[in-house]
Amino acid sequence: MILLESQNYIIQTTLTEKINKPSSLDVQFVDFDGVRFHLSTPERKTSLLLSMHIRCWDELVKYGALDILRREYGVLLLDQAEQEYNVSLDIDLEQIPSDPAAQEAFILSVALFKRNALAAPFERGFKTQKELEASGGAPGELMEIHYRDEEAIYVQASPDRVTVIFSTVFREETDRIFGKVFLQEFVDARRQPSIQNAPQVLYSNRDPPLEIRHLSGLRAADDIGYVTFVLFPRHFLNATVAGSTISHIQLFRDYLHYHIKCSKAYMHSRMRHRVAEFQKVLNRAKTEVATTERKTATGRTLISR
Amino acid sequence: MSNVLRPYLAAVRSTLTAALTLENFASQVVERHNKPEVEAGGSKEVLLNPLTISRNENERVLIEPSVNSIRLSIKIKQADEIERILCHQFTRFMMQRAESFIVLRRKPVQGYDISFLITNTHTETMLKHKIVDFIIQFMEEVDREISEMKLSLNARARIVAESYLTAFNT
Amino acid sequence: MSLLAPIICDNGTGYSKVGFAGNSDPSFVFPTAIATRGSPSQTSRAPTIPSKPGHLASKRGVEDLDFFIGDEALANAKTPGYGVHYPIRHGMIDNWDHMERYWEQTIFKYLRAEPEDHYFLLTEPPLNPPENREQTAEIFFESFNIKGLYIAVQAVLALAASWSSNRVTDRTLTGTVIDSGDGVTHVIPCAEGYVIGSAIKHIPIAGRDISQFVLNLMRERGEMANVPPEDQLKVAGKVKENYSYVCQDIVREFRKYDEEPLKYFERYEGEHSVTGRKYGIDVGYERFLAPEIFFNPEIYSSDFLTPLPEIVDEVIQQSPIDVRRGLYKNIVLSGGSTMFQHFGNRLKRDLKQLVDRRLDASVLASGSSLKSSGVDVDVISHKRQRYAVWFGGSLLASLPEFYTSCHTKAQYDEIGPSICRRYQIFGSAT
Repeated sequence: MILLESQNYIIQTTLTEKINKPSSLDVQFVDFDGVRFHLSTPERKTSLLLSMHIRCWDELVKYGALDILRREYGVLLLDQAEQEYNVSLDIDLEQIPSDPAAQEAFILSVALFKRNALAAPFERGFKTQKELEASGGAPGELMEIHYRDEEAIYVQASPDRVTVIFSTVFREETDRIFGKVFLQEFVDARRQPSIQNAPQVLYSNRDPPLEIRHLSGLRAADDIGYVTFVLFPRHFLNATVAGSTISHIQLFRDYLHYHIKCSKAYMHSRMRHRVAEFQKVLNRAKTEVATTERKTATGRTLISR
Repeated sequence: MSNVLRPYLAAVRSTLTAALTLENFASQVVERHNKPEVEAGGSKEVLLNPLTISRNENERVLIEPSVNSIRLSIKIKQADEIERILCHQFTRFMMQRAESFIVLRRKPVQGYDISFLITNTHTETMLKHKIVDFIIQFMEEVDREISEMKLSLNARARIVAESYLTAFNT
Repeated sequence: MSLLAPIICDNGTGYSKVGFAGNSDPSFVFPTAIATRGSPSQTSRAPTIPSKPGHLASKRGVEDLDFFIGDEALANAKTPGYGVHYPIRHGMIDNWDHMERYWEQTIFKYLRAEPEDHYFLLTEPPLNPPENREQTAEIFFESFNIKGLYIAVQAVLALAASWSSNRVTDRTLTGTVIDSGDGVTHVIPCAEGYVIGSAIKHIPIAGRDISQFVLNLMRERGEMANVPPEDQLKVAGKVKENYSYVCQDIVREFRKYDEEPLKYFERYEGEHSVTGRKYGIDVGYERFLAPEIFFNPEIYSSDFLTPLPEIVDEVIQQSPIDVRRGLYKNIVLSGGSTMFQHFGNRLKRDLKQLVDRRLDASVLASGSSLKSSGVDVDVISHKRQRYAVWFGGSLLASLPEFYTSCHTKAQYDEIGPSICRRYQIFGSAT
């Protein structure tokens, strides 16, 4: 698995299961970036309530998340969210299309709940860019999404592009160094002819890029970095392309951290192998021949050290 | 083995072989104790002169002999931040498993990355030249392993970045 | 920041149960299997490391991401180039490389959690060597940077799970756990949260054997003639799960069936998995004979003959004398093969008989001058028995003490993996 998927697996499997066999349910689970979900059947077995808590909800609403969710889910979206959560969907299992393909599409769209909510600033950015291109005005509003405690996404539209900036913090030394290697490769990768069309990536350590330098509350420290993606109009040419770009760029941080962790796991397995090799070399130095296995009366092996 | 490395390793090998003349020696300070003198450091007269073999400022070996034990510490080459962290990870991973490495010390001597402690018991139960072989082979391979790890990290990062960016085209 | 729910990972030999604390059921239950590139027969534990530097494979370097876990692993078992491995053997982790990657995908693909934001509760079998705990901690803290870790013994969690039963009034961690899964059944005594390792006993009869026994019985009666051979074991498993119960008296039960077969015989309807042809079979005596092999093993096996109540009694008798009363009073069931109806009642009755007989004998031996006040025997069954270990973990991890009992990343960095050799027992009211 190299790329991460956008849909939530738990929502997907639970819904599929419940459509076939409705039963009462009350589960809480999470998604990347500290998103919390609560899926329950408060009234009937066939009526599911899916609630989501997302840290930067207020900011998302400001950038039009409700409109997007209403567009995606229509009547399913409840006006009043469940307590402690930001937004709720009411899913009536009896109203779900019975045609397998449509059913699958419906489940997938529900599983993309978080993705759709987080898509708002990007969609707005793309729209603003179109307007600016026509009118040729100054760069649009800088949208801030504080999706994690210490990290944020900044989206800004300009007449010819949309700039997306991620601030990244690495809590650990190893992660910071590995992260730097990875980010450097992101910057360099565009030299490859096959990915010339990809967005341009810039990386700066410590110093925030020009676009956001005026913001207050930016901390200058060694463990902080800024990754800038420059999206050109070709990345949001039509709805499908824009959609996949949004799904993809949202998960950038998780993708990066996932791979840092995978590389550490890989290093571990390498080291395990190498240590075992060294062990063999040292064992050659031992003179004594291995004694035969000794057993206790009950047949268990005796090991002496 | 590269030719530049050979004299360095040869020097370590002959020094170590010469230093590995250990005998069973009971503590002069505490009755019925038999401790590696180089660690205990209780009686100065049984400690021999420590010796450093340096290849350059970043790579050196410290050999501290004594009458019944010898301590060998290695400073591994670390050219940059990545090698530093990889080296740190690797040595820690190995020292975590020191139990099975008999001659390995759980903590390195200050200023070095990894230390070995060979006592007279070790030289009695194991073949002396094979212990030396092990240390030399370790020194030889650890540099290579770290640079290989660094290469593979870079290669990985490239693939990861490429696959992420390629996905924008579709 | 509001704390996100801790993640509970119960990795068993056969199945892994993973989910979030506070829920009553695990979010995922899938086989502890990993399908990787390369043949399964390859005995070398080493990852695919090129022997020579500069080899092409090291340039590519992401083959280790090419793997599947859980149900997907089994689905890909036949795909050429993939081999299925089971990283856990007899409850203990056997292949750390595979296990590390297994966890990696569990967290990122299935749970979709950022491990840096979560506390983890892992389980281990009784008598797990402390080195294994250290290695587990090394993986979780160094590879995944998790916030905090708690490693609990499965039997203790099963005891904690029984607190949900309304028959339990005091939350104690003293008791005997009967854990019966698919492969083997364990009887584990625990005193105040600590396993009495010397007294543990294993019984080689568990879910798999019961299914096989049901199959044998039905074959003998000729019921299985209509069933396609490849489905037979599955059908037997279904019969076991859906129709079986524990009777109190075999002879009476046989008579009941003979008098009114129509009332007691059940009908099982199945469908051929390939052709879709329908078939039906009668389910009869195996309904009560299946779980009977715990109480009369001689009807199934010829080499293991000690009934379960006797084993439980032996285990408790081998434990220190001052905890025996507690062990008799709190016998807790865990695992899918203890789910049979009336299983607890039957076990309690048989065990009580054994205990009373011994008490009577000692009264007699003392010349009727010393009389015991009697020993309470109680077997606790509850609703969450199937995933009791996981549920117990979910319960404990929702307690506020959980966070203080965990070892945090900062503590790990300070002290090192050896910190995970010990964990504080918490949660019990006594």
